[in-house]
Amino acid sequence: MKDRLGWFVSILLFILVLYPLAAVIIQVLLPGVFFGNWQLGNLSLLLEIFHRPLWQKSLENSVLLGLGTTLLATLLGGVLATVRTNWSFPTAKLLDGAVWLLLITPSFILAQGWVLFAAGGGIAVNTLGWNWVTGFVFQPAGLIFIMTLSKFPFAYLSVHAALEWKVDQLSHAARLSGASAFTVWRTIQAPLIMPAVWAGAALVFMDTIGDFGLPASIAAVYRFPTLPYSIYSAIYTSPIRFDMAGVLSFYLVLLIGLAMFVQFYAMRRSRFDFLSARAERSAPKQAGKYRLLLTTLNLMFLAVVIGIPLGANLLMSVFKTQSAGFVLSNLTLDHYTDLFHSSSVLLRGLSHSLMIAGSAALLGLLLGVCVAYVLTYSQFRFKRTIEVFSIVTLAVPGVVLGIGYIFVWNQKWLDSIGLLLYGTPWILVLAAVAGAIPVITRLMVGAMAKVPNSLLTAAQLQGDSFTSRIRFILVPLVRGALLSAGLAAFGSSVFDLAVNSILFPPNFLTLPVTINKAFEDLDFGYASAATVLGSAVVITIILAIELLLRRKEAKI
Amino acid sequence: MKTNNKRWLGTMLLTGLVALTAACGNAGSMENNTAANAANNQGTASASPETQATEPATAADKGTLTVYLNDFDAIIAPLFEEATGYKMEVVVGNGAEIMSRVEAEKGNPHWDVLWIDAMPSVYGLGVKGQLLDNWTPNNVANLTDFAKGFLPEKPWYVPTGAHAAGVIVYNKDKVKDEDAPKTWEDFSNAKYKDMIGMADPAIAAPAYPFVSWFFKEKTMDGAQAFFGSLMNNGMRVYPKNPNVVKALAAGEISIAALQESNAYSMKNANEPIEIVWPAEGAPASVRVAAIQKDTGNPTAAKAFIEFLLDPKTQQALIDNGDESYFQPSVDGVNAKEDRAADAKLVAADASWASENEAAIKQWFADQSVK
Repeated sequence: MKDRLGWFVSILLFILVLYPLAAVIIQVLLPGVFFGNWQLGNLSLLLEIFHRPLWQKSLENSVLLGLGTTLLATLLGGVLATVRTNWSFPTAKLLDGAVWLLLITPSFILAQGWVLFAAGGGIAVNTLGWNWVTGFVFQPAGLIFIMTLSKFPFAYLSVHAALEWKVDQLSHAARLSGASAFTVWRTIQAPLIMPAVWAGAALVFMDTIGDFGLPASIAAVYRFPTLPYSIYSAIYTSPIRFDMAGVLSFYLVLLIGLAMFVQFYAMRRSRFDFLSARAERSAPKQAGKYRLLLTTLNLMFLAVVIGIPLGANLLMSVFKTQSAGFVLSNLTLDHYTDLFHSSSVLLRGLSHSLMIAGSAALLGLLLGVCVAYVLTYSQFRFKRTIEVFSIVTLAVPGVVLGIGYIFVWNQKWLDSIGLLLYGTPWILVLAAVAGAIPVITRLMVGAMAKVPNSLLTAAQLQGDSFTSRIRFILVPLVRGALLSAGLAAFGSSVFDLAVNSILFPPNFLTLPVTINKAFEDLDFGYASAATVLGSAVVITIILAIELLLRRKEAKI
Repeated sequence: MKTNNKRWLGTMLLTGLVALTAACGNAGSMENNTAANAANNQGTASASPETQATEPATAADKGTLTVYLNDFDAIIAPLFEEATGYKMEVVVGNGAEIMSRVEAEKGNPHWDVLWIDAMPSVYGLGVKGQLLDNWTPNNVANLTDFAKGFLPEKPWYVPTGAHAAGVIVYNKDKVKDEDAPKTWEDFSNAKYKDMIGMADPAIAAPAYPFVSWFFKEKTMDGAQAFFGSLMNNGMRVYPKNPNVVKALAAGEISIAALQESNAYSMKNANEPIEIVWPAEGAPASVRVAAIQKDTGNPTAAKAFIEFLLDPKTQQALIDNGDESYFQPSVDGVNAKEDRAADAKLVAADASWASENEAAIKQWFADQSVK
């Protein structure tokens, strides 16, 4: 049974992720293979990364940005999650909300917000008179700083989920034996959450080196080419070089492989399924005299991570012209009324995007749970391979996946079996599922790691069926993670520009395409207003679902 | 052993799929492509919920005309339907996205007509045999003498208009009129240090026609020296023209080489900028329309090309379009009133620009990281 599930998952991942990705990377070897041409490509291209100034610089920058961000964001996310689980203080819920907001907001919007804030004529300099901001942000350390503030949610969520249940008897035993609070933390509590920390770190690393939005937006002010940026220019520069994109993608995949290897090596001995019948849901203590301090710090933190990037976008959406700045006569709501204009394509685009993201979240959740189950409980021999391919789309830029999807789903023979999906909305759903799998799988694996196999085996020994074991034991225990995973997948697919712009079918505009089009037509106000409206709708939907389903959970 | 067999399954599956892919690609190129395309178009029509059912306009056409374009997406379909009765579908994106899709779809194209302001790239498609080359529209007779100069050696495409890929733009609040640059050579003047910006030819579609003219005029070495001196003078290279606009508006730069429509939109939005048309000419970006070689909808596609070369159409694009600042390609059309009367456009010829595209763009890409 488990083996069958393993194969089922493997085949789906193969179709959704591996095959399209391989289709791009194989362009290095056989550039014409999808057009019936078996000519060998130029393999020396593989080594050019060490000769071409742009590529070399891109690789260096990607590694630097990835490592720096991983270190800082994991630290930040871990500390925040620990504080949040241990103490309750006013505004703590806002922190959770901010984390979700950052997770689903596409990086190009965050990065643009930072640019609007920190650039030469930006808000920091013009309105606040902080001239040092520009120099501070537009240098490698500054970019790592911004990246850290955008990517820490991965580490936060991972650690926060791991702290959801606690088994106090271990700590109590240690304290009874005379260990100090710090020793208990160092030798018991910290090691128990290490798998979650590593998982969070791996996610941060991969999402950072695969990020295109930040280098693209920053490039306007400060040159910082990364691998995804160079891939983008290989694909989007005529003459179009899919083989070059293949080479660079190959190195990206290599980097992910390395990261996974490190994670695997570090976690070799650190898997503890500690959740037993004695486990209890952790409830934060009142912060007491630190209440005010924590609240203040939290609000200041939120002002920086949310206030700056999203606030800058919000300001843009009510400005008549950008250069006139923040004065009363320059404020307008016209951009918002434009959105609801009868000829506006925005609302149709938004409904398309919501439909696609919704289907993708549901399908992705089904597949993600199966993947996580195989990874956590089965003896399936290709588990490691599945793990790699369940995460690879996080780091591979959407546009590479998009091109791969065209190669794969636009072959003539597919038409005879009715599967010529390129040119239909289904291709967007498939690509969105592929894009959502890493986050769903990681969150689910993190949650399942705490549910010992013995709980499931016990039920099996009593003759319980596979489906009811999943339904009555596993799902209730990981319910919070299921909800989080589904919502994260939904939120992030709505704005996925790269995949959308290359795959959308004729007359089927989606929200990110519409926003991007407005930007290119210089309707910055309209683009910002559309972003704000889209985000508001998505957040409302997420909050509504949260409220509806979490309530129910509390009753149980 | 059961599991040993399974180990091979994945390998076999991969090999099989790749082989199948290649085999089908082969067969497809030899078969009658019209049939495949037709089926494909119908597939698109039935699967896409937005598509309205349409009757084939004539016996020859198998589906609805699909046009890939980068501008005028909002107004062109109703105009075309009103003028000819044909329905059409558009796929809109920036120049790079559209060309990338065209390239990736090479084995099974979904487009019938490509209408885009990237003449060198479309020329490249013609050389590679992806464009219909045995038909010349009647309305070619309407072309102005200037536009006739852009017709390629085979009838791969027709020009439908040209706009400046770069004009000189400066911020009136920061630069006095008498101090403003008047020619491209002025850009290397030390008094403009750290004040100038332009779009990146390796990313922005109109930026390549802009730089290619310099490379043709000054030869490769001369142009490299020229742009090298601009970069040493602190010129900033932004990914795309809208980024240049933002930088100008935000005051990061005060002078720019900016695409024409972007420049006039800024002016119309009351940004404090002035536009200068250099006397030696502004490098042109030419918008061309081409038909896909194996199109399933030749009748509608040809009607669309004739329609684009109709003075009434071009006048409508100028009066109502989003990229309305351009020089029309046919006689009897009036350009925008506020477009400079002395606007002089110059362009490197498409075959030269197409051949040297990779080398020039790579030079810029590598230059930017030094």
